[in-house]
Amino acid sequence: MHEIDDHDSIILCRSCDLAVRKRALPSSARAICPRCDTALYDTPYCSINGMLALCVAALIIFVPANLLPVLEIHFLGSIRTTTVTEAAIAVWAQGYWVVGLAVLVAAVIAPALLILSILTQVIIVKLSLNATFWQRIYTTLLKNHGLITQMTMLEIYVISFLVSAFQLSDFSDVYFGMGTFSFTMLFAIILFLQREYNLEHMWSYVDEH
Amino acid sequence: MSTDQSTADLPTTNANPHQPANLVHLQGSQLGLCLCPVCKKLNTSKHSHCRRCYSPLSTRNYASIQQSWALLVTATILLVLANIYPITLLTNRGVVTNDTIFSGISHLVQTGMFPIAIIVFIASILVPWLKIVGLATYLAAISFNLPISKRKLMVGFHIIEWIGRWSMLDLFVISLTVALVNMGQLLDAKPAPAATAFALVILLTQLAAKVLDTRLLWDRLEKTHDTN
Repeated sequence: MHEIDDHDSIILCRSCDLAVRKRALPSSARAICPRCDTALYDTPYCSINGMLALCVAALIIFVPANLLPVLEIHFLGSIRTTTVTEAAIAVWAQGYWVVGLAVLVAAVIAPALLILSILTQVIIVKLSLNATFWQRIYTTLLKNHGLITQMTMLEIYVISFLVSAFQLSDFSDVYFGMGTFSFTMLFAIILFLQREYNLEHMWSYVDEH
Repeated sequence: MSTDQSTADLPTTNANPHQPANLVHLQGSQLGLCLCPVCKKLNTSKHSHCRRCYSPLSTRNYASIQQSWALLVTATILLVLANIYPITLLTNRGVVTNDTIFSGISHLVQTGMFPIAIIVFIASILVPWLKIVGLATYLAAISFNLPISKRKLMVGFHIIEWIGRWSMLDLFVISLTVALVNMGQLLDAKPAPAATAFALVILLTQLAAKVLDTRLLWDRLEKTHDTN
């Protein structure tokens, strides 16, 4: 066992447990593990106001993205439309609830939780709510952030619009609507939100107390 | 864009003051330090809970290899089933056809939609199999001490973690198709048993990658002092 006097200047690689001396980085630079190439840390900065704006925008666009039909087909005079939730329920209704649940979680529930979680965190930081109650909520949200991010799969859903449209155009006319546009915008906003968000930086607010 | 910058500046210790700093490969476990598995805060190993988020700490999770193997074996069995059984059931003017993942793709190729066929092929066949083979290689390297470059294994592992979610594409397409195409005997699409198996494959392989404590791979360095 070796003794290290200054614990704050050392970090451990989460993938290979290598001890690395931490030092200041220029902005937009990222430190990677010298042994296994895992991303270690980058400049811990994220704009709280920017994230607040993106959260509000995401919440607003979330409503039409989930209420308006995302795809419409015309086949021999009959018209069929579907929203994201209806598509998930359609599979569920056929008895394939595992598939329905997976679609619902990845495309509706996880994105909603992600927006609400970041919004709550941003509000707690912005208003400096230091009461134990708020700090406990804050820590719980941060602990679950990784899981919620992993379950959010909007980018894949946007690609699936294209794949479905091409497959269905084989035997019917396919139309995109405002729902498709809103859903794609929701994807874009959440993409920027996640780029702005820095989990390590959010954790550093807990250290200050 | 971010320019990757490697910090080879490692802690120099009292034990080896004359050795060049970038050759000392000290691990947290040797320094009596460990990362919190939840919030990545640095803690001393003598504590049982993280000082920031109060999650339980552990230097190494040795059981994670077994858990990961178990999940991987289950996923492999399910993936075979997902490929054999039909994933959609299409009724077109009274004629019922069962489509497996593969026959769906070959149908796309026949109708000349090559780009879409390639996307579906990557998401539904290539990615799941690559994930299983890749994870098996990774786990075997830890369990049986295989002489494979650890650096390459780690890069492969990060790719697997990132790419795994793209298999969900097929399930999204199925759910949209099932919801839209419901015109009775004229034209009707329904999901078939392989869909559930495929969903479980995605869940189990993602879990297998998530449970695994990747630090176990790098512990072998202490014994052999190889830096590959």
